[in-house]
Parts: sequence; structure tokens; C-alpha cells
Amino acid sequence: MAQPSAATIERAPRQAPRTTRGLDAVTLGTLPFLLILGGWALLPYAVDYPPYMLPSIGTVLDYARESVLDGSLPRDIVASLARLAIGFVIGMGLAIPLGLAIALNRYVADLFRPVLSFLQAIAGIAWVPLTIIWFGMGNGSVIFVIANTIFFSALYNTVIGVQSIPLALHRAVRSHGGRGLALLSNLILPGAMVQILLGIRTSVAYGWRALVASEMIAGSNGLGYMTMEAVQWQRTEKIILGMIVIGVLWVLMDRLVFTTIERRTVARWGLLQR
Amino acid sequence: MSVGAVLRVPLSRARPRWRFGVAARGFAGVLILLAAWQLSVPLVGLGPYFYPAPTDVLAAFVELVRKGILPVYLADSVMRYLTGLVCGAGLGIAFGVLIGMSRKASLALSPLFKFLFAIVEVAWIPIFVVWFGYGIETIVLALIYVVFFPVLYNTLLGVRTAPQILVNAVRSLGASRLQVLRLVILPSALPGIITGLRLGAGFAFRGLVFAEMVAAKTGIGYLIFEGAQAQQTSRTIVGMIVMGLLWLAIDQFYLRPIERATIQRWGLTIDAAERT
Repeated sequence: MAQPSAATIERAPRQAPRTTRGLDAVTLGTLPFLLILGGWALLPYAVDYPPYMLPSIGTVLDYARESVLDGSLPRDIVASLARLAIGFVIGMGLAIPLGLAIALNRYVADLFRPVLSFLQAIAGIAWVPLTIIWFGMGNGSVIFVIANTIFFSALYNTVIGVQSIPLALHRAVRSHGGRGLALLSNLILPGAMVQILLGIRTSVAYGWRALVASEMIAGSNGLGYMTMEAVQWQRTEKIILGMIVIGVLWVLMDRLVFTTIERRTVARWGLLQR
Repeated sequence: MSVGAVLRVPLSRARPRWRFGVAARGFAGVLILLAAWQLSVPLVGLGPYFYPAPTDVLAAFVELVRKGILPVYLADSVMRYLTGLVCGAGLGIAFGVLIGMSRKASLALSPLFKFLFAIVEVAWIPIFVVWFGYGIETIVLALIYVVFFPVLYNTLLGVRTAPQILVNAVRSLGASRLQVLRLVILPSALPGIITGLRLGAGFAFRGLVFAEMVAAKTGIGYLIFEGAQAQQTSRTIVGMIVMGLLWLAIDQFYLRPIERATIQRWGLTIDAAERT
């Protein structure tokens, strides 16, 4: 994923630090936002277009207040996050045991490899039409797609996690007579856990896209449904609000949940991923 | 993408493997799946609309090819995919180099791009539909948006990690800024650019299928969606299988050779980049 590399942007550029006369980072950084907001506010005076194409900032803010007050926006947010959580638990719950089996037994690995490579190539979202037939519109379809997406990402991380356990540790445990369950609980699980935990971020990034996309097609409520449904009624302020909420929620999840997990695991096990 | 890469790596350590046995077991896995599918159809007993058999899917495939629908859809999808990929990558590289080389551009554009990056491309599709209608513009724009960010950030990483000593050396020989770019920055950013392209290609493929479901009247994504709407579920499954095969083909014949020719030469592996 490209997310962590976003951090590189904050690092100083490769030239020797120079003082940028008169313009500090905050001013320069907010400039594009001001330009966009200004352009948005002035556009109706410059170009003639029907108001549904781009509602004014005021309309969007009004709608935001209204939807928070009548409880519809919080309801959609909770519905979406709940689905993400359920899909996450199912996907991880299936992927970790299978990932361990694949990483530990080459017959299992050989048997599953082509099938899984192929199923993984069928992106989660492509299942939506089929799941609509199977589960109907709503929760079932959306959760299937999220679980499917997270499953493959978590499977990858589990296999990598087991493979990255140093062979020396493996031999050490075995030479002390550790085998079977003892080997699993003392070496394999804790060894793979770091990679599994660190992989959660990528998994959820994929799952988040899958959530929004599948709600747009198969949802009966939630953020994706809210934005796509608004297209039919030309409620563009609803679309824009939905986009902003989707962006803000992702940043919050990224900052509050995944950065914490990463810090904890990296600090505790002294493992640096990059 | 990622699982395929891992699963291709030999999984157990150090023992020489009997290639034929590996292929045979893999083939057995596929056969077991197909047999279980075919045999479970009478057990489920819900009719081809709800649960079509592999034979139904094969019949639908033959029909779609014979009527010439599938080749046209496939060509449309590939065309849109390539257009989006090329434009998105071009923009990503350009802005990556700009932000990497200019402090002012970095300060001005980084917060904006971070904000935009948080709004996933699927969330843009409804508003693209309002602005541009259902059609190729919406799809290509969504693809450009998906490809842009991984290429941008990986190009930036490549530019930032270009050895300063080389920059200084070329500069002290009197190179202009453009020459520094051409002689030092771009070559050392190339592995990053390739990594970004590879990530972008994967995201864009998923984006393509979704955008075609929502905003197209042709293409593989449309086939998958429309098959289910028209209660021709076997067509949906043909679409899913073609999509899977298409991605495996792109991965095998297009991305892997590029990767072999570039990244592996510089000793960078894709797995390290994908895992971050």
C-alpha cells in the first residue's frame, strides 16, 4: 500500500533546508484548499450551470447540520462501521487458520495455490451481483464482499508472517522437543502475529474500499448507499457530504487505530517493518 | 496480486521439490473445486438462476463468444484500463518529481494530496456520474484517480532516496536542473516508479470492474452486473472468470516481466514494497 509512504512527504525534501522567505509551511499548505474553496464559491458567477451539478458550500453545510440533527448521518456511519467490523472478524477468522495451514504444510499449499490465486484475482467487488442473488440487497452481500477482500489480504500476511520466522528459532524450539501444539503456541503464532497485526492496516484499507463500493451497489443503508442513492435524486450536497465523511473517517481510523497498533507492536517486539 | 506472489514462493524450506507433483496437486485442487461445484448443484436444487452449474457457465461462455459479445466487452475493458493507467501514471510521475524536487511544491501540495488520498476513488464515482454521466469519462477519471496516488508516493520515495552525492557530482560538473533530473533523479526513481505502477495496476483493475458495474454499458464489469440483473447468472460467472483470467494474464505477461527487467536488477523486491 502506498499509505505509509505518505509520511515521506512530511520529511524534509532532499535539498538542504532553505528558508522559504515570507511563506511558511502552513500558509503554503492551506493555499490550495483556499483556492479550491474560493473557486467553488465563485464558480456560479463565472460559469452558468444548473445548481444540482455543484451545490454551494452553504447548501452542503446546511445539509450536514440537518442530517446530523435528524440522526440519519450518524445512523449511516454506524451501519457502515458495523459491517466493516463484522466483515473484518469473519475474514480474519477464516484467513489465519488457512494461512497457517498453507505456510506449514506444502501439500495443503500445493492443493490450494492455483485455486486461491485465481479466486484472489476475482476482485471482491465482482462478487456483488452474485451475492445480491444469494443474499439479497443489504447486509449479507456487503459483509460477504468485505470478508472476501479482507480474507485474501490477511491470508497473505499470515503466510508471510510464518515464513519470516527465523529458521534458527524454529530449530531451537524443535531441538528442545517442541512439536505440534507447543510449537504452534510458542513459536508459530507469536512469530506470525507481528506481521498479521501490521497487515491489518492494509487489509482494512482494502476492506474500506470494498465496503463503500458494495454499499453503492448492494446496500440498503450506510455511507456508500447514501452517496450513490443521492445521484438519482440529484442531491449533490448529499454526495459531497458523503465523500467528506468517508475521507475523514478513514483518516481517523488510520490515525487512532492503526497507528496505535503499529506503535504498540513495533515498540513491544522491537520490529521495524520498513 | 499479493497472495499470488506469496503462494508462488516455495513454502517449505530447503527440500527440493518434484515439479510434476506440485502441478498435479494444484490441478487436483482445481478439479476438486469444479467437481464439488458440479455435484452440489442437484443437492442445492435451486435452479440455474440461483446456482448455475459449471456446464451452464460453459454454455453461456460459448454463446457469448459466438455472438461476439465477449470479445467486444473485453476489448472495451482493456482499452479503458490502459487509458486510465497511462494517464494516471503520467500524472503521478510528474507530480512525484515536482514534489520531490521543489520544496515549495511539496509544502503547497502535500496536505491537499493527503486529503484527496483519504477519499477513496469509489467515493468519487457518484459525483463523476453527476458531472460526466454514465460512460467512459467517469470510468477513466476514476482509474486515473486510483493509479495517481500509488505512483505519486512511490515516485516521490524514489526521488527522495536519490543519492545526494551523485546530484552534487553532476551539479559541480555544471549540469542544469533539467540535466540533474534526467541523469540522476529519474534513473534512481525508476524502481519506485515501477513499484507504484504495479500497485496502481492492481488497484485500477478493481476500480475498473466497479466503475463498469456502475457507469458503463459495455465491458467485463457490465457483463457481471447485467447478467445478474437479467437473471442470467451463468453470464455473471463467465464475467467473473474472464475477469480473473484477465488479471492473471496482466500479472503474468505484463507486470512480472517489467518487474524482472527492472526491480530485480536493482535488488528491490516487490514484496517488501507491497507489505508496507
